[in-house]
Amino acid sequence: MKTFQELILKLQSFWSAEGCAIVQPYDLEKGAGTFNPATFFGALTSAPARFAYVEPCRRPADGRYGDNPNRLGKYYQFQVILKPAPAGITDLYQKSLKALGLDPKLHDLRWIEDDWESPTLGASGVGWEVWLDGMEITQFTYFQQMGSMPLSPISVEMTYGLERIAMYLQKKDSVYELDYGGGLTYGDLHKQQEREFSRYNFETADTALLSRHFNEWEAEGVRLASLADPLPAYDCVVRISHLFNTLEARGAISVTERAQYITRVRSLARKVMQLYIAKSTPKSVEAA
Amino acid sequence: MKPMKKKVAASDFLLDVHTEPLPARFVAPALEQLKSGASRWLEGKVEHGEISVAGTLRHLILMVKEVSAKGHDMTERFKGPKEQAWRLPDGKFTPAAEGFARKYGLSAEDLRPVEGVLYAEVHSKGEPASVLLQTMAVDLLKSLQFPKSMTWEETGFRFGRPIRAITSLLGEKVVPVELAGVKSGRAAYGHPVLAKAAVILKDPSKHAAVLRQGLVIGDPAERREYLLKALELASKKTGGRTEDDSDLIDETVFMVEHPVPVLGRLRDEHMKLPAALLKMVMKKQLKFFPVVSRDGALLPYFVGVRDGLSSGNDLVREGYQRVLEARFNDAAFFVGRDSSSTLESKLPLLDRVTYQKALGFLSAKAARVESLTIWMGEQLRSTAPIDERSAAAASRLVYADLVTDVVKEFPELQGQMGGVYARKDGLDERVALAIEQFYFPVAAKTPVSVTPEAAVVSLAGKLDSLAGCFAVGLIPTGSADPYALRRQALGVVRILLEKQLPLDLDKALEEAVKLQPVSVAEPGRLAAQLGDFVWARVQSLFEEMGYAVDEVRSIREGALKDLPNAFRRLAAVRAVRREPAFEPLAAAFKRASNILRQAKYENGTAADRALLQDQADFDLYDALVSAEGAANDRIVRGDFEGGLKSLATVKPSLDLFFDKVMVMVEDESLKRQRLALLGKLVRAFRRVADLSEIQTPA
Repeated sequence: MKTFQELILKLQSFWSAEGCAIVQPYDLEKGAGTFNPATFFGALTSAPARFAYVEPCRRPADGRYGDNPNRLGKYYQFQVILKPAPAGITDLYQKSLKALGLDPKLHDLRWIEDDWESPTLGASGVGWEVWLDGMEITQFTYFQQMGSMPLSPISVEMTYGLERIAMYLQKKDSVYELDYGGGLTYGDLHKQQEREFSRYNFETADTALLSRHFNEWEAEGVRLASLADPLPAYDCVVRISHLFNTLEARGAISVTERAQYITRVRSLARKVMQLYIAKSTPKSVEAA
Repeated sequence: MKPMKKKVAASDFLLDVHTEPLPARFVAPALEQLKSGASRWLEGKVEHGEISVAGTLRHLILMVKEVSAKGHDMTERFKGPKEQAWRLPDGKFTPAAEGFARKYGLSAEDLRPVEGVLYAEVHSKGEPASVLLQTMAVDLLKSLQFPKSMTWEETGFRFGRPIRAITSLLGEKVVPVELAGVKSGRAAYGHPVLAKAAVILKDPSKHAAVLRQGLVIGDPAERREYLLKALELASKKTGGRTEDDSDLIDETVFMVEHPVPVLGRLRDEHMKLPAALLKMVMKKQLKFFPVVSRDGALLPYFVGVRDGLSSGNDLVREGYQRVLEARFNDAAFFVGRDSSSTLESKLPLLDRVTYQKALGFLSAKAARVESLTIWMGEQLRSTAPIDERSAAAASRLVYADLVTDVVKEFPELQGQMGGVYARKDGLDERVALAIEQFYFPVAAKTPVSVTPEAAVVSLAGKLDSLAGCFAVGLIPTGSADPYALRRQALGVVRILLEKQLPLDLDKALEEAVKLQPVSVAEPGRLAAQLGDFVWARVQSLFEEMGYAVDEVRSIREGALKDLPNAFRRLAAVRAVRREPAFEPLAAAFKRASNILRQAKYENGTAADRALLQDQADFDLYDALVSAEGAANDRIVRGDFEGGLKSLATVKPSLDLFFDKVMVMVEDESLKRQRLALLGKLVRAFRRVADLSEIQTPA
């Protein structure tokens, strides 16, 4: 039986063999692997991009105090981004499942319409949830827009739900019972974290501090963007996006405020993207 | 010797667009467009036989039988300006005319005048079918409309999902089509996981068989048959059958290419959850078919439909059950949380849920629904047996389930979960039912609320939504109807008719408008506008039932004051209309109405027999009085047909009246009397119907 860490290693070696650079998780809190600069900036320009990586993701509102066997406030995604999207990518994806020991011939593999949208990034894509015997194991997306701008060439993003796949492979009903590797269970490594962060996100987070930080990092992002260095400014986008998620989980944002917060994150994200594109296009750099 | 007509060679054309998985909802409409598009495109261009389509989530297939090798020779005419503008007085053409002709490769002399206008006529030889079909294929694929389209490669071509291959054959020849970086060929592709390899087609005839070998049933009708049989077979062992759900069946037909059923079991502990919730989880979250007994009760089984073969079915079943159990555990967790407090105690939470900006929170809407329920109970007290206390108790709680976890997760269960929780709270069954059926009817053909209490509460909710939205200007236009007001109005109409409730809708709408939290400039006018909106639904419902437009129009007056009665009046008009004496009666009635209208007659003077003059006056008066008496006896018993027939007995006297006397005489007093007499007649008929609305042959 494959351990959680072996599953990651298998995916890394599969996609490494397919010519991907295996990059490391980005060192800031974020809600999805898409926030890793490899994807966020990788999808933006016309230069080819092939990356794969594990990304820890924080979803403050999804925490369940460690009580729910299927829901986590923090978990791992395995993300692959390929640009341009190769023809035959769905076949290649199926091959990757086979490499994990999931022979599509012996399972029910279904592609269910599921388009993706990130209001804070002004990003959207078209694609599917991939179901293995009824369980969603992958989000498969052709990016169409970033920062509200149409993309070309188009990237394809595959996000494997590692815990789900591991639970399937190990036939476990609870994520906490997963064999992580190294003689540890997933619960050994994560249960305390789930309990304490659920309390933090739902009960004890200092909302005044969080909203002050939101304002400050937003202002800092705007300032940095004006200095024409997109990468430090992008860190501000990632930070305020997570601050927003925490504030929302904490119940500190009303319906009308919510839309305003999203607009603020998105407009900073757009600034950063435009800056990045301008900087990575040689001519406009000279002009600037 | 007779000249032999040379037979032109004909071949079948196949176009198969092989895509990445299209969303199920995209496929049928796309096939529809392919078929009608091909038919339109080919019209007049080339001889051909039957046009058919087939498809799955990965194939859009068009087949045109017996396409002639060569298209028709064609003459196209292009309209130019008027001849006099383009020809000089000396008969010469202007330079502009020369230019126009040149555009079509002609000289001005070639332009043909038809009725003073010059036309350019362009003759073209019929093109080879392969050329035509190549153009058609590209045209059709470019013009397909999907609910949402995407780009995926450098040409930026838009389609529902990426195109991966195109098979395009005319007889044994490939018709070269190039789109989105894909070049057509003769390879055909079966199931992406199960088919061994692409098959090289010699000609279109083997296409369906090749797909079939590759575990793809291309024809949706055949796939549906196959699916239905599979479902039946799989569920047979349980003694039950899969629940009829045409939406799920339609969806499944386009979610799998080769349906294989997998029967699974539910755990006993989960069977304690509300059946509606279990079904919703199975159908909406996992696309499984619930298994039910002959009388519709949920059995502890489900059938999932996998795509492909049955190898590994045990693995798949195990996987299905594990996913389902996880979802049920989630659902059980929600039900447990929801049940930890009563519906009543959830009411304060409605203070935080906005119904509509100007119309306030759900708590305010709930209060209005309660007031309106109580008001309607009073209105109907003498005519319909309603337990007013239960209705009022239910009306307070109808929105409480909107703040439960289950309904937040499954909005479709609104109402149903309210009923479940009401029973858990130990509330009266009448109250629980009224909460459960609050949103009934949920669609045009689904049942209305069963009990009178449920009917009234449901009416109150709908009338409040209608009045509220109209009051703030959210009036449906065209196809835009975000608050589903048309459906709600139809719901009102169906409840009143099916539950036989003689509610005065005009008054009820006024009451509902009065309760709105916004100031309405002219409440009477708004209520009338709402009445017209509801009437439009009445009209279309009656027309759908087979009543003629004019018949429905004839009962408009007072219809909303008592809809069940209005329907009886309509049936009477229809019944009497079949009789031969009806048309002349309607014509005479129309004449009477016209006279009144032209004289701008308004009710006022009562007809006084003593002030009339001629025998024809007296005859009509007497006939009318006796007919009215007889009609009234019948109408009060609800026998409108009998009433109408009684009134029809005045016909001979009315004819004689028109024959013998003039209404618009010099003598003012006599004129008034005769108008009053006709007014009396028209009013008597109008208690049943305004026959002047009935179209009679001229």
